[in-house]
Amino acid sequence: MSITVVSDVTAAVWKIEVSVGDHVAEGDDLVILEAMKMEIPIEAEVSGTVTAIHVAAGDSVNDGQPLVTIGQP
Amino acid sequence: MTFTWRQALAELDRRRAAAQSLGGERRVQRAHDQGRLTIRERIEHATSEFHEIGEFAVFHERNGAGESIGTLPSSYVAGLATVDGRHVAVGGEDFTVRGGAPQNYLERFKGGMGGFVEDLAHEYRIPLMLFMEGIGGDVAAQVTKGHAYLVSSMSWQRSYQLLGEVPVTTMISGAAVGGTAGRSVLSHFSVMTQDSVMFAGGPPLVKRALGIDVDKHELGGAQVHTGLTGAIDNIAENDEDAIAQMRRFLSYMPQNVWELPPRGDRSDPTDRRGEELLDIIPENRRRPYPVQKMIETIVDRDSYFAIGADWGRSLSTGLARIDGIPIGVVANNPRFLGGALDGAAAEKQVRFVDMCSTFHLPIVYFVDVPGFMVGPDAERANVVRWGMRAIQSMIEAEVPVITVHVRKAFGMAVSATSNPDRLGLRLAWPSGEWGDLPVEGGVEAGFRREIEAADDPEAFRRLVEERMRATVDPWKTAEAFGVEQMIDPRDTRSVVAAHLNASLHALATTLGPQSRQWRIRP
Repeated sequence: MSITVVSDVTAAVWKIEVSVGDHVAEGDDLVILEAMKMEIPIEAEVSGTVTAIHVAAGDSVNDGQPLVTIGQP
Repeated sequence: MTFTWRQALAELDRRRAAAQSLGGERRVQRAHDQGRLTIRERIEHATSEFHEIGEFAVFHERNGAGESIGTLPSSYVAGLATVDGRHVAVGGEDFTVRGGAPQNYLERFKGGMGGFVEDLAHEYRIPLMLFMEGIGGDVAAQVTKGHAYLVSSMSWQRSYQLLGEVPVTTMISGAAVGGTAGRSVLSHFSVMTQDSVMFAGGPPLVKRALGIDVDKHELGGAQVHTGLTGAIDNIAENDEDAIAQMRRFLSYMPQNVWELPPRGDRSDPTDRRGEELLDIIPENRRRPYPVQKMIETIVDRDSYFAIGADWGRSLSTGLARIDGIPIGVVANNPRFLGGALDGAAAEKQVRFVDMCSTFHLPIVYFVDVPGFMVGPDAERANVVRWGMRAIQSMIEAEVPVITVHVRKAFGMAVSATSNPDRLGLRLAWPSGEWGDLPVEGGVEAGFRREIEAADDPEAFRRLVEERMRATVDPWKTAEAFGVEQMIDPRDTRSVVAAHLNASLHALATTLGPQSRQWRIRP
């Protein structure tokens, strides 16, 4: 099973904190977005392994846009 | 035929059984298949005691040629109920009878727009709880009357009047169309189940009028109304959840504007320190924080009930209690738009503050606002007008307002957080920063000419910025008594509780309807 974490805001991608293959725990920062001069951390909703990253630093993302997919055994 | 009690009471029982069966097994089954409760089940679920009124009113069913084909119970169920030990007027359309269409065929509406149930709430000064599911008017109605009627013959007055008298809460499960949609939003708290829809006109009407095909959920689904328009406050999993939310809402409310809100449980000590706050608010000022978690640390345990969480998200609103005293909590949310007040957030504040003021709930406002939202989207959504209305809501609020400065407070939006013509009590955490404009952008805008003319523009800009930043120190404002009190965030709960307790004397002696100072909003 895999879960895709989506953005809940319209923002720019500032930093990607994980790589494909990384193990992440629930609550870990996956991506830091930037909007209105605020750094908005997007956290893992579940623990698992990062199987895909859908954005790159500098990208603009919309509310609801997929950011990172986390696979679970 | 001679009268006998046995026969008379048997007739009453027969008619009661007919009323209980609603629009018939097949239609009731259809509601159940969709995972919905019938109107009688909703009332049963929400109340502990129900005394029905108008139980025996019927609708004479006719075929297209006008011939009578029998009777159905009328399309509305209403009465006097007890909800969590309180008297409440309850009513709702019966969707299994003519899709819950208005009861134009009766001498008097039981409910729906005005009608007996709304008179009951008005006359007894008790809350009104409505279960909305109906198609609004239909062509068949004018056949029943024998003539087409002007809709303006029907009165909405009671429905508006009630908003200034008693708490009104509505839920939508299924479809609420036309008049039923309209009645749903005339409430202080509304909730709809996730698979429900609400619109002025459904997809067939849209197709005829505009020639476009649109999915009903895309047109007026729960996501649209709780996430975008804000016409409905909260979303619910199902009927049971929606009912639970309406009951929760009522638990903070007085029976009417002439009474005080009921004080709740006082077991959570007011001197409980909010140690977690120092972790919740990051030292990195560019990092937002979970606003709800911050609020929950300060208010009574498990007492925060978020209202309208999914729209106008740069402002969080909700009901809570401190030392058992029901309050309204408003907080800028820096996770969205950096906490800037846009049109939607301002509209949300206006409705919420008006409601708190109407029912005598003091307001606690957590401030972290960089200003009115800027940019083409914000301007086109009328941020200036809505922002000024938000300020007006604060000036008009007739309840104590305690303002807590968390971080930023810049620009006109700050005027929407406190009222200097009343007590204007502002408590500041040492993390607070404020001014006309944030230093970075402000220096650029205010000294552009001088910066450009300088020998070393960059060095000059830095010099000006440093000079400005020195004045931003919140302690300088505290020294000048430009903020009423600096507090340790961990003591917020006890300080606010003391002020709320003292303010009860004012609340208890200023009951009654709100006297709006300005009758219109700009």
